Amino acid sequence: MNVTYNEIEQFIRGEVSALTGRPLDAVTPATVLVGAHRVIDSADLVMLLLASEDFARERLGASFDWTSDSAMSEARSVLRSVESLSRHLESLQQTGA
Amino acid sequence: MDTVVVTGASRGLGRYCAEQLQERGYKVVGLGRAAVADAPFEIRAADVTDASSVASALSDLRRDAGVYALINAAGIASMNLVVTTPPDTVRRIIETNLLGTIYCCQQIAPALMRRGSGRIINFSTLGVPLGLKGEAVYVASKAGVEGFSRAFAREMSAHAVTVNTIAPGPIETALIAKVPKEKIDAVVSQQIIQRQAEPVDVWNIVSMLLSPEAGMITGETIHVGGA
Repeated sequence: MNVTYNEIEQFIRGEVSALTGRPLDAVTPATVLVGAHRVIDSADLVMLLLASEDFARERLGASFDWTSDSAMSEARSVLRSVESLSRHLESLQQTGA
Repeated sequence: MDTVVVTGASRGLGRYCAEQLQERGYKVVGLGRAAVADAPFEIRAADVTDASSVASALSDLRRDAGVYALINAAGIASMNLVVTTPPDTVRRIIETNLLGTIYCCQQIAPALMRRGSGRIINFSTLGVPLGLKGEAVYVASKAGVEGFSRAFAREMSAHAVTVNTIAPGPIETALIAKVPKEKIDAVVSQQIIQRQAEPVDVWNIVSMLLSPEAGMITGETIHVGGA
């Protein structure tokens, strides 16, 4: 598969842009997804997770399980920002999870 | 062909609803504690009290845009005074009726979100508003289902998915097979419509909630016969 980090980040930024209506340029790696300064509401966050699940399966050949106990306990760190979510998806590809 | 997932599909109200759905052209995927050979629809074995069992039984449907509805009919009851109900029985009732409903919703909701429409129908009991003696644990589990459904309806509304609860009184199924007739009559006498409901009465409400015309009905508990 060999999808680069930049391609993964581009995908996440594109999804956040589409879901929030923000210009793509306004969505950066540092854009916050959960917590006080989040740019995305909880319903759209679920849609982002669903899109990421599909992306992981179709493009990375990996399983992004965000509903298991372990995934939920890590969710706040994984979902902290566009970059952290992108890095997590990249790590799934590397481990072949 | 729309798919409807029905838990508790091997018998009782779940089986009845699943058969009605099958006859009306829906693809039915049933969940039961064990696969059933004589069912006219697919039944997958799963333990609804175990999230991983539910997940593995339904994993292929999680991304299936053909899934239109989930009917959580799996349930157990144990009529007993609270102080004489063994802790294991208490846990089993709560796990099956409340946690089972939640686990199945967690598994199927993503498919409905992707689709952008759908129906979730959960089951409670008239015992909740009537506060029936000897059913406190069962009532607790079902009151939990009602509260869960109301709050979950808000989460799902952005995706045009409705979440409602049907609360029947005593209906002739295996669930109440050991309950004496006088006790059943006593419950029925407290309904607004003092007639023991039949499975078709429940199906009529299920059918209505599944219809496109019910798209603005959500977060509600419908008491069969009134309470």
